[in-house]
Amino acid sequence: MRTHFDVFGLPRAYDVDVPALEKQYRELSLQLHPDRVAQADARERLKALEGTTALNEAFKTLKDPVRRAFYLLKLHGVDLDREDAGAQKDMPLEFLEEVMELREALDGAMEKKDLARVQAMGSQVRGRSKAALDEAAGVLRALEGGGPAEEAPAQVRKASHALGRVRYFTRFLEQVDAFEEESLS
Amino acid sequence: MSKNGYLQIHDPLKPKGQAVGIDLGTTHSLVAAVAQGKPRCVPVDEGDSLLLPSVVHYGKDGGVVTGARARALAGEHPTDTISSVKRFMGRGPDDAETRKLGHYKFAPGANVVRFDVAGGNPVTPIEVSGEILRALKRRAEAHFSMKVEQAVITVPAYFDDAQRQATKDAGRLAGLEVLRLLNEPTAAALAYGLDKGSQGTFAVYDLGGGTFDISILKLVDGVFEVKSTGGDSALGGDDFDRAIASQVFQALGITEPSPSLVAQTLAASRKAKEALTDAPEATVTVGGQSHTVKRADFDAWIQPLVNKTGLVCRRALKDAGVVAGELDGVILVGGSTRVPAVRRFVAEMFGREPLGDIDPDQVVALGAAVQADLLTNEDRQDEVLLLDVIPLSLGLETMGGITEKLIQRNSTIPTAAAQVFTTFKDGQTGLDVHVVQGERELVEDNRSLARFTLSGIPPLAAGMARVEVRFQVDADGILSVSAKEQSTGAAQSITVTPSHGLTEDEIERMLLDSIEYAEDDIQARQLREQRVDAERVLAEADRQLREHGALVQGDERAAIDAALAKVRETAQGNDYLKLKEAVHALDETCRPFIERVMNQAITQVVAGQSVEDY
Repeated sequence: MRTHFDVFGLPRAYDVDVPALEKQYRELSLQLHPDRVAQADARERLKALEGTTALNEAFKTLKDPVRRAFYLLKLHGVDLDREDAGAQKDMPLEFLEEVMELREALDGAMEKKDLARVQAMGSQVRGRSKAALDEAAGVLRALEGGGPAEEAPAQVRKASHALGRVRYFTRFLEQVDAFEEESLS
Repeated sequence: MSKNGYLQIHDPLKPKGQAVGIDLGTTHSLVAAVAQGKPRCVPVDEGDSLLLPSVVHYGKDGGVVTGARARALAGEHPTDTISSVKRFMGRGPDDAETRKLGHYKFAPGANVVRFDVAGGNPVTPIEVSGEILRALKRRAEAHFSMKVEQAVITVPAYFDDAQRQATKDAGRLAGLEVLRLLNEPTAAALAYGLDKGSQGTFAVYDLGGGTFDISILKLVDGVFEVKSTGGDSALGGDDFDRAIASQVFQALGITEPSPSLVAQTLAASRKAKEALTDAPEATVTVGGQSHTVKRADFDAWIQPLVNKTGLVCRRALKDAGVVAGELDGVILVGGSTRVPAVRRFVAEMFGREPLGDIDPDQVVALGAAVQADLLTNEDRQDEVLLLDVIPLSLGLETMGGITEKLIQRNSTIPTAAAQVFTTFKDGQTGLDVHVVQGERELVEDNRSLARFTLSGIPPLAAGMARVEVRFQVDADGILSVSAKEQSTGAAQSITVTPSHGLTEDEIERMLLDSIEYAEDDIQARQLREQRVDAERVLAEADRQLREHGALVQGDERAAIDAALAKVRETAQGNDYLKLKEAVHALDETCRPFIERVMNQAITQVVAGQSVEDY
């Protein structure tokens, strides 16, 4: 299977030089884009459409540290983007309880239209999300670095839990953002 | 045939005629093309005006009038004269936008807006827009003495899939191959960027007659990358006119104005709005009564509308991940940015004076012309590339009327997403899919794009059949859907019924109708085309004689002059076959002379090379 890393001719790794990636993205776009073959036959135009679609998907995934982490995990067989993914149900119970409490507190603050409280919760969760991503990044680096094979399943599980937390936090922060936008309007 | 004649051989660069850029606007429309390396707008209406009012009048005799002449008929025939048709593109009859103050009469039924007009069947917004495009195409053809068959047509960046599809269909009805639907702010940036060769991050604030767009773009190494876009496809200068009209009706105690009075008052309000750009007050006269509007009052009436654009700007900046202070420039587009209150607002919002050195009415058409040239002119292909985004998320309806997003807004296009569906009953052979566009959680709050049924699924136990549906968004921002059953690998047939558009069958029928209609006066059309052809040949012959007169030999000149005179004479008549013959004869007569001209040109080129190369 052609990975997003293959599209850019990059080795599979968590760390990506984003400015270099952006430059390469522009160069590849200039070569592949459908605008380059606007007057060519349907087959070439379709090829350009497919090539650019794949390029855009790869760029979107690799330039963003969160998407990149989820993608690497997926390459290790755990797809957290799937709604029916068993991995989602696999989160530790105490974390799920904590998330529930956080959400209740957020709902309460939103009901009271307490913008300051919502923003404070937002910045706290943002910090925890960052920490969880850093943890996942550490594990993914070790995984890609090629440690002992018998440790891999435990590491994948560890990364999956960390990114599972990122996912819950992201949804939480989306709600915070929507509320902020609403309050400011 | 004169088409491949010797006199036309000098125009080998444009085998498909002149490619143009078209700004199909709410209030007025423009067409532009690149000539001698520079984009220019083409005169399209009375008095060599570059702006064609986007107004179409349908007469009782079935005739169609566009532009200023149509606008002049709006007061007398309010329901047969359609203005601001862009607001109805891709909309349903029950949309809030459709129900705003206006002077239209809608035909009942159907899921597409249809205007009840004189002279035949009700017309859809697609057909009305098609008339505007056809008028622009004809006038551009007359201007260039060349066929116009390919166009880049601009759309508001915030147009959804249905609105884009409707615009593309209108182009087809007008006999145009739509090379690309280009977002208006991106077109404006292209017009500016090429002029200045600049780099950096720019905001384009585009407030037109009926739509508002904001785009944040980054220009690096010739690539225009749209970082985010936002807008409101139901907010523009028309709403300013309506704000004035409503206040005037209130002040004059008019509670139930007739369609005719609405049309007149809206026109008077528009004039007042334009006058208020320079004057502190303006007078609106309605049915013999006058009301004075002060600029301060006007500013107050439109403030809520202007504030609405501010929210959209903030969200676009956030989506792009930039703050206002990091921008290298703000570009103003659209006639409504002439309103002083709007300019002030933009300057405050972005903390800098906006750029406006290209005429805000023309800048979009000029950018579209540049893109048309980039797409068709091989010599220019590696100069610039535009990377645009999808303005609104695409999603599917799931259990309980909840939207599941498949493609996030501001994703760079072309883009695609796939979703696997499984059957939930034993032996189930069909699955209903509902595609929506928008950011809201509930399906009913978003725009319904299409419903379709996946059929022909092999009857298996529940959950065993897995159908992968792939959503592809092309560089025009238009969605197409394909599906594959995973256990058998069989491709599924999908019939997509657009919720507020025309089906492929309806478009086909309209195309056929327009062809049949055209055949009624096929003679007239052929004569017109032949005259255009004759004019071009005459001009070319004159030019060659002027520049290379020395190469004419013996009594050739007398024969050529006679042939020229014959073409001029038959062009006055009405027989297109005779004219065709005369053009052909002229071509033959000039042939030896033109061959000498070409030989000389080739000799010069070869000679030139030998000097440089050795």
